[in-house]
Amino acid sequence: MIERLVAAIRSRAEGGDAIWRQSEHTTVGFESGRLKACGVTEETGINLRVVRGGKVGVAGTTAADVEDLLSRALASAELGESVDIVFPGASALPEVSTYAPGAADASLERLTAIGAELVARLARPGCQINVSIEREIGTTQVAGTGGAEASYRTTGLGVSVDLARFAGDDVLFLSDQYLGTDLPSAGDLDALVRTIGDRYDRALTVVAPPEGALPVVFTPQGLSAILLPLRQALSGKAVLQGISPLGSKLGETVFDATLSLTDDPLLPGRPASRPVDDEGTASRRLPLVERGVVRAFVYDLETAARAGTKSTGNGSRGTFGKPVVEYTNMVVGDGVSDVGSSVLGGGLVADVRDGLVIDELIGVGQGNVIGGAFSHPVALAFRIERGEITGRVKDAAVAGNVYDLLKRIGSFGTDGRWLGTRWSSSVLLEGVSVARR
Amino acid sequence: MKDRLTDALRASRADFTEIRIERTWSSSVSFRGKRLESATASEDQGGFVRVADRGYGWGIAAFTSLDELPAMVRRARELSRAVRLDEPIRLADVAPSQAEAILDLDGDVRGVPLAEKRRLLEGYNGAMLAVPGVVDTQAVYRDEVTEYWFGNSEGTLLHELRPEITLSGQAIARRDGTIEKGLESIGLRRGWNSAQQHAAGFREVAERAAALLDAPTVTGGTYPVVLDNELAGVFIHEAFGHLSEADFVYENAQAREMMTLGRRFGRAALNVGDNGAAAGLRGTLPFDDEGTPTQDTSLIKNGVLVGRLHSRETAAALGERPTGNARAMSFRHAPIVRMTNTYIANGQGSVADLMKDIKLGVYACGAFGGQTLLENFSFTAAYGRMIRDGQPAELVKDVVLAGNLFQTLDRIERIAGDFRWNQMGGGCGKSGQFPLPVTEGAPHVRIEAALVGGDVPA
Repeated sequence: MIERLVAAIRSRAEGGDAIWRQSEHTTVGFESGRLKACGVTEETGINLRVVRGGKVGVAGTTAADVEDLLSRALASAELGESVDIVFPGASALPEVSTYAPGAADASLERLTAIGAELVARLARPGCQINVSIEREIGTTQVAGTGGAEASYRTTGLGVSVDLARFAGDDVLFLSDQYLGTDLPSAGDLDALVRTIGDRYDRALTVVAPPEGALPVVFTPQGLSAILLPLRQALSGKAVLQGISPLGSKLGETVFDATLSLTDDPLLPGRPASRPVDDEGTASRRLPLVERGVVRAFVYDLETAARAGTKSTGNGSRGTFGKPVVEYTNMVVGDGVSDVGSSVLGGGLVADVRDGLVIDELIGVGQGNVIGGAFSHPVALAFRIERGEITGRVKDAAVAGNVYDLLKRIGSFGTDGRWLGTRWSSSVLLEGVSVARR
Repeated sequence: MKDRLTDALRASRADFTEIRIERTWSSSVSFRGKRLESATASEDQGGFVRVADRGYGWGIAAFTSLDELPAMVRRARELSRAVRLDEPIRLADVAPSQAEAILDLDGDVRGVPLAEKRRLLEGYNGAMLAVPGVVDTQAVYRDEVTEYWFGNSEGTLLHELRPEITLSGQAIARRDGTIEKGLESIGLRRGWNSAQQHAAGFREVAERAAALLDAPTVTGGTYPVVLDNELAGVFIHEAFGHLSEADFVYENAQAREMMTLGRRFGRAALNVGDNGAAAGLRGTLPFDDEGTPTQDTSLIKNGVLVGRLHSRETAAALGERPTGNARAMSFRHAPIVRMTNTYIANGQGSVADLMKDIKLGVYACGAFGGQTLLENFSFTAAYGRMIRDGQPAELVKDVVLAGNLFQTLDRIERIAGDFRWNQMGGGCGKSGQFPLPVTEGAPHVRIEAALVGGDVPA
């Protein structure tokens, strides 16, 4: 199919590229502890980009009509803006494992058994347990008129669990997830059960929140609010538009020397890994922040062309719309190691006299994210008193500015883990503003 | 297409079968700053089959290759047979409907050249860019028309044409390290004619972004708060609407207890509902995605919980009537319980009446977003004004409202008589289905006391 698309582009345009993707997605859902539904989604889609008269156009379809698709892409190019995109040439691609036969071949019974085991192990009196198992098997083909061409198979396996407990008007909601290319190992399932179980036990006691500028441990989940402004600021798109606070800081020390962030599409067995990006640029590991110093921003082909730089291989595209800049695997800290202990707080609470562990905040992503300021009520947080977690805190809010807080990092925990496409451990930050309500 | 659908239904050996087929023509134009990002037309098509055999769970198949329809019906049945249930799935009765529902296309967008759509959006984007202090903009135009077929083994057979149009703008103002934004968002279940003459709205949000550069951050604390129509609408959707979705309670005795019909949720002035049948709004459709006719459902009446939103399955489980709220984002998804057009009903008086006896308070306006995690919520207003001695006073920024749902609903003490639908774009997200077209509406409301974050005193 992909050769046909590139040939069609060559016949009518100066250049272009295309991506063809086919996937089968299987879902097994347990609702309130019982298996309720099984579903499968089969999808084939094409996204095509052309350059004609120096102008770029895109079109997408799930109907397999190539002629119609090409005419729509050309019509889009007529209105498009001029940009000097250089489509990548043929190159040797890095080896990266994206396909696990064990996951691809797993039967419906096997997927169901994972869910049944988790439901049984997570059961608590008066609690509702939902578990869903999702498996995706896909093939991606990408090629362009520059000569780049790649085809690879992928698997993705996701397990998500949540537990809800209602006691009067108190609602406790805990969730965790596994994501990999392969089936979860016994150890992965143990980690899910331990994470939920540990939080559940500690959440049963509700204590009063502290107040003031305090040390706060952000768990790998809780860290989302802290990292979101950085994800936005390190995008080449934000830099190009002149709205990134980091745009002029390349090579400068902006953060604590213990902070490193790396975009790594070559990590084995991760669903965001791939040998090439969705525009045919070969994948490579990209340090974004190295020991506190800003090293790079992520770019796709068009953003790079406009910014006068090269794509970093971070072009991502769906069936519809044009390619966008996107991260792959985001590694926080020195690198990926063995999964650490799943103990709440990651071993960072012992030295804290009075503070909080933040596992989840409400409203992350609202407001003025890119400036770095945040202010959120807690969804799930625990109080630390004299080096011990003493219970769950309900009516509290935290606020701060991540650019100030990340100048001085207390330390990193021993609980490194994957959460979706992000690897991190817990992080202790000093002087986070905590308010009661 | 109708014949293919009825043939597939007839051939199904399952006890219950439903099939949806959709074909969507869409186009979108987007600007970033002065530059056109893209202008493109897309075509999406596919089908969805859901079956249940007696004693078994749901088997679901979704697909983009419509030729596969008969095979997918068989596949869905196999999947259903893999789910053995002790308690069978029950569906509340809905009288079968046969309907041709061609909604008013209001200027069919499929007949308008892409170049004209680009011109329209360029004008709106330009209105934002012209405001001094604005350094970056994003503007998006999107339209679609979906041809929709639905049928089930009980005899329902529907054919619809559903239009939708959304316009959005974001203006970023910057001075040194200070960055502020303004958002405009318009969403209608209408066509090209309704996309005209919105330049003033785009200009206004850009001017506000620039004005916020000089505005102080609101001082955190507990205040009497007046919500404008837009924020009050978002509040009732996020803070209460999701709890009224019956899939949240139908299998959980404790949650059901929390949401017992007859429980008092607010003062006598508070009336809340969800109306999927209101004319021309974004959440409006004649039928939901299970073939149930939409309706106006009362949720809170005079402060008391009187109803909830249902699919056929949740209605049967709770012994209540389906309300036409089973909705799916597209053929890729199963219908789940969702809101449509959710509202706080009109009260009395004007916004000035609500403010006149507030010595020091906050007038919270517009919405950058809102999230509820069960009983706790957080909303970020687009901007605010302090209320001083009964009058709106200086502009303030970073107005984040946080609180406990039950306490806050109970503290809604006055509701004005200036009801308005929001007609916003964006949409609602739940269980991986985002953005589902919904809207909200409300008059100005006054909350006796609410925690306003912002500059949290350390």
